[in-house]
Amino acid sequence: MVAVELVKRYPGFTLDVRWRAETSVVGLFGPSGAGKTLTLQCLAGLIRPDAGRIVVGERVFFDAAAGIDLPPQQRRIGYVFQGYALFPHLTVEENIGFGLSDRSRGERARRSAEVIERLGLGGFERRYPRELSGGQRQRVALGRALAIDPALLLLDEPLSALDAPLRRTLRDELRETLTGWSTPAVVVTHDFTEAYRLADRIVVYESGRVIQSAPRAELLWQPASETVARIMSLKNVLRGTVVKATPDRIQISWRGQTLEAVNSPTRSYLPPPMSPIAFFIRPEYVRLIRKDRGAPDPQHHMNLLSGRLVSEADFGTVWTLRLRLDAPGEPAQGAFDLEVEVPHLVYEILEIERDRHWQLSIHRGSIHVLPA
Amino acid sequence: MDLFPVWLSLRVALTATALTLLIGIPVALLLARRRFPGRNVLEAAVVLPLVLPPTVLGYYLLLVIGNRGPVGRALAALGVELAFTWGAAVLAACVGSIALVIKSAQAGFESVDRQLEQAARTLGRSEWSVFWSVTLPLAWRSVLAGGVLAFCRALGEFGITLMVAGNIPGRTQTLPLAIYDRVQAAQMDEANALALIAVAAVVVLLFGLSRLARLRY
Repeated sequence: MVAVELVKRYPGFTLDVRWRAETSVVGLFGPSGAGKTLTLQCLAGLIRPDAGRIVVGERVFFDAAAGIDLPPQQRRIGYVFQGYALFPHLTVEENIGFGLSDRSRGERARRSAEVIERLGLGGFERRYPRELSGGQRQRVALGRALAIDPALLLLDEPLSALDAPLRRTLRDELRETLTGWSTPAVVVTHDFTEAYRLADRIVVYESGRVIQSAPRAELLWQPASETVARIMSLKNVLRGTVVKATPDRIQISWRGQTLEAVNSPTRSYLPPPMSPIAFFIRPEYVRLIRKDRGAPDPQHHMNLLSGRLVSEADFGTVWTLRLRLDAPGEPAQGAFDLEVEVPHLVYEILEIERDRHWQLSIHRGSIHVLPA
Repeated sequence: MDLFPVWLSLRVALTATALTLLIGIPVALLLARRRFPGRNVLEAAVVLPLVLPPTVLGYYLLLVIGNRGPVGRALAALGVELAFTWGAAVLAACVGSIALVIKSAQAGFESVDRQLEQAARTLGRSEWSVFWSVTLPLAWRSVLAGGVLAFCRALGEFGITLMVAGNIPGRTQTLPLAIYDRVQAAQMDEANALALIAVAAVVVLLFGLSRLARLRY
């Protein structure tokens, strides 16, 4: 269990966060400068908060009211720094054994060997950090932190020092290591995919505050607000006005059309008519209606719209299409209204390259309202 | 030829270098790592001996350690006389050269990534251990360079030494003072020999330093 309550004031920036997690891996997710790294530094005892309380497991690391502030040496925290901060003058073996100086020589050698073996660093014991690849450095940094058998592992942007193809491989490797060692961990990242892959619970940071803390699946499907949706860089985050809201359904007026969305039963949201409302539509859930199957059936095709392709982009396996609705008025997102994603195969079968005008339908379950 | 000035200078310079390292390293660490009131004053005070005329420095030093000065009287009460002894020459060399150790070591310590020190702390190491196992091993070249420069400066110290230790042959006459004396007495052969010894000592040292600098850590 990790419970964090922190206030730290700087000129022009205040960190004021509160979150707790029972799960094994927590992701701190948000834009740069939101206070994620600062939170890690407070957890590790490298920066002293102005107020608050930090509890990890059964131990109180910090409690401003009770005057408790354990020094970093006594917290037993494994900190994997951004860029790893490996000791350049020490070998892999010496780096990994660095936190074991209070153990006997034999015990130190045994533990280092065990960590080196488990992380697949055998054969590199005598190498220096500068002689290692990015992935090996990451493993050494992890090994150095895990060797002390930490109460909590902190990872600051663990993949940012790597280039894109390696990032994906190492993300999965890191996930396996985290599960394999079953050490509770806090991972900082500004990449949502990374947060989603690595963490069980995700805490969303923005300008020094927590704007949502939820299990990862819940965050994915129910962002708490428009801000969260934008930080997650969700596509088609749109604004309309409420026509009518019931516990099951919400009708939204948008771009001269009336859309019907499901009102989540777990989070019934009943804004009064005419109030502004934000919602988002996942681009892969918008359906293009085939012209060779007769006229669309309103029973089957809900939220019917029609529009023209204004631009498209090929991402290899999928195409991203940008459509402007036929309805008069300014498009909702600059030059277009909706972004739609179709698999490459569908793009070819429907001959989208040739045919630029389409009817669309969006299932009411695919329109997600965002509470204000 | 009387080689006493050579041995005296070596002894003075070695002692002074050891003392400047002992005092200079903590001061350099303090300046590199801590923000505290009066830090700017300390930084200025450190460079002062480099820019003040040596005779001025020597004059003030003499006022402090002479038999009427506060330190001089305190030492006299303990039966120790500092002014016009080889100890005073060591003090003169220290004052003249400590800025070189501090400035060089400070630059070295500042170039060590603080994150490495923080990593060491999270791994359970005390401040003392962080210094010996991380900071110093990563900055030792700058510290050593400062030490070598300080040694060379101490070897050549003239003005301050003359003021506080005098120029007593066989007691406080160091190599630079001896060279000056020989020239005054028109004994050019001896002046030549002594000057060559000084040049050789410094060249050997600097050469050794440049070799060491090629080592990584």
